[in-house]
Amino acid sequence: MKALVLSLVAGLCMTCQAPSQVTPERLLNAAHDPGNWLTYSGGYQSWRYSSLEQVRRDNVQNLKVKWVYQMPTTHIVETTPLVVDGVMYVSEPPSNVVALDAATGRPYWRYHRVLPKKINVCCGEVNRGVAVLGDRVFVGTVDAHLVSLDAKTGAVLWDVKVAESRTGHAITVAPLAVKDMIVCGISGGEYGIRGFLDAYDALTGKRRWRFWSVPAPGQPGSETWTGNSWKTGGGPTWVTGSYDAAQNLVIWGTGNPSPDWNGDSRPGDNLYTDSAIALDADSGKLKWYFQFVPHDTHDWDAVQVPVLVDDEWHGQPRKLVYWAHRNGFYYVLDRETGKFLFGKPFATQTWAKGLDGAGRPITRPNIDPSAEGTYLWPGVQGATNWYSPSYSPLTKLFYLAVWENRSVYRKGEQEYTAGNRYIGSVPLIDLPEEPGTGAVRALNPETGACVWEYKLHTKPWAGVLSTAGQLVFGGSDEGYFFALNAETGKEVWRQNLGGVIRANPMTYLSEGKQVVAIAAGSAIFTFQLDK
Amino acid sequence: MRALLILIVAVNLCGQEQTRNPHTSRADIAAGARTFRSHCSPCHGMNGEGGRGPNLASGRFYHGSSDLDLLNNIANGIPGTEMPGLFYSSDRLWQVVAYIRSLNVTAGPRPKGNIARGQKLYQSNGCPQCHRIKGEGGRLGPDLTQIGESRSPAYLRRALIDPNADIPKRYWVVKCRDASGSGYEGFLMNEDTYTVQFIDMHEQLHSFEKAKLTDYKVEKISKMPSFQNVLSDSQLDDLVAFLSSLRTPRGLQ
Repeated sequence: MKALVLSLVAGLCMTCQAPSQVTPERLLNAAHDPGNWLTYSGGYQSWRYSSLEQVRRDNVQNLKVKWVYQMPTTHIVETTPLVVDGVMYVSEPPSNVVALDAATGRPYWRYHRVLPKKINVCCGEVNRGVAVLGDRVFVGTVDAHLVSLDAKTGAVLWDVKVAESRTGHAITVAPLAVKDMIVCGISGGEYGIRGFLDAYDALTGKRRWRFWSVPAPGQPGSETWTGNSWKTGGGPTWVTGSYDAAQNLVIWGTGNPSPDWNGDSRPGDNLYTDSAIALDADSGKLKWYFQFVPHDTHDWDAVQVPVLVDDEWHGQPRKLVYWAHRNGFYYVLDRETGKFLFGKPFATQTWAKGLDGAGRPITRPNIDPSAEGTYLWPGVQGATNWYSPSYSPLTKLFYLAVWENRSVYRKGEQEYTAGNRYIGSVPLIDLPEEPGTGAVRALNPETGACVWEYKLHTKPWAGVLSTAGQLVFGGSDEGYFFALNAETGKEVWRQNLGGVIRANPMTYLSEGKQVVAIAAGSAIFTFQLDK
Repeated sequence: MRALLILIVAVNLCGQEQTRNPHTSRADIAAGARTFRSHCSPCHGMNGEGGRGPNLASGRFYHGSSDLDLLNNIANGIPGTEMPGLFYSSDRLWQVVAYIRSLNVTAGPRPKGNIARGQKLYQSNGCPQCHRIKGEGGRLGPDLTQIGESRSPAYLRRALIDPNADIPKRYWVVKCRDASGSGYEGFLMNEDTYTVQFIDMHEQLHSFEKAKLTDYKVEKISKMPSFQNVLSDSQLDDLVAFLSSLRTPRGLQ
């Protein structure tokens, strides 16, 4: 009996002293832990690259479906699954989470978010994924809460209101765990919100800091706004950023100023909308910024994933950010200062003659939306958008999904009313006779030159994944999931999944074997070599 | 918001059938149009013709067709779809309902032609070779059984005079040759990066890998002949009157 008691006590102590599952150190090392997929982009540098090489160009044709998990949803699925030690954590739209056995796709638990009857999200009640830290899973909700869940059971540990959902605030972004915090952005650029980026204590849910992407009067940058336009200035933060641990900087993109297509109420550059922002991770203070589109009137958010690379730049080692922007230009920034180093179009664009020495666009005349309609490339949805790019250290190429299309930008009147759209127009996204086309492109990140292109008949909403197997995985709205030769762009494998792919691929190990996963239709599909 | 809640409660007490839109003046419709253009047209089209969201100008609604149904759908959104709710006062929402009602192509004046004469012209000019009404006729062209509900008389007349004015993608023409050299021509049903599906001029379905085809092209030219110099103005009026009369009998919505 005494022996039993002793062993029970010992067992309890082991439990109470057991290190948490996902430590900050483990997240820092995520790129070297390819059996798991621990952050939205597969690591803080956001390469969406895996060093797994079991699936290669010479065996990828043996890739077969391993399992499928069907979600009970009618919303678009944009999630990137995370995998931690054999458990896959998947967000289901609108704001639910399921934990699956990564080997079989069978669920352990499911968190169902009860939502208000009325949710205002501009472009679908979607969610792009969860964050993991310690023994917890974190999800943002379309009613603008951030929720902490027990990773083993799905029990709610805390639930904080990030913002008021009735004023058009929502969370669709996958949060990012940094140190002992959860960094979380906000959506609502079509509802005249005042954007911000938040960090919350992972244990308690207490807010550590908030950076307003639209400064209040008197703060630096407020001179780029007029009158009260800052109060409804937009600048949402709806795609997951990156973390530069050496500099302790959270690097994130901000969205469009509001109203989107009528800038009359907000003369000025409208900082820090359409910008890359670098914040001190402990204080949330702005270290640097770079604005891609001053005074945007085309909805060209900077909501792309910042790709952080340390490499030589003109012969000198330098900390860099690679950024292919919605406006059609590819940029390289200095990660210590935010200084513009290089920029070049990666898709057809007709709005700028080029970029000046500081990276500011030299705009062409008459590009503003107009009552009769202004025809411009790229279109409203941009030359690329929120879906992830990828960087492979093997090929040293930057991969991304691209749109080739133009839109008719129309300008209209708009008054602000809380919780309703505040967009200033109705653009025509596609011309009826010009549906546009798509591609996956590989850029030389130093020159911006297109090294290869894989053409698509339709415009893709799927991100790309590169692997040490010298493959690039991508998807299309047509429902095809495909693998390309990372060096040449030649297609080496393709599977019709029968539903639109509007998500990013990821990869992990299950029982020692490499699995590739992507969401398509309303399901998660996983693939593994069958021989 | 509170006004809207009170209104909905009141309406539910009164019963749904009796509820009529209290805001249907021309000014209301114009105001509703402004709200519609700002908030609804990104999905439903500038004139309610549809796009990402359903056509609202056909007079057919899939989530309830009473004024109150429309109001509730606009106010609260439609669960399980991408349709969001609007946070406006009930007065302003009723104006949107009034505007949507004004789009209904069946709501305008009847066209001036003679329906019976139009029907004879339809038969004698070869229309049934390609078009079908209630299961009778060819299947290559658009089915016209309910065309009067989804197309205005002006649109129908223009389509008869200038068939190339508006060609839905489904009627773009595929031309190609397979590996054996056999040629095909048909109407595009679906196309993706790798494959194409079409119905040929003999009403046969085909699905090909594009990589295995030669001389593959898609033309945006209508296969329908123009009737501009074939029918007189009054005959066109008659034919338009007949086509415009093709509607679903009431009660089946």
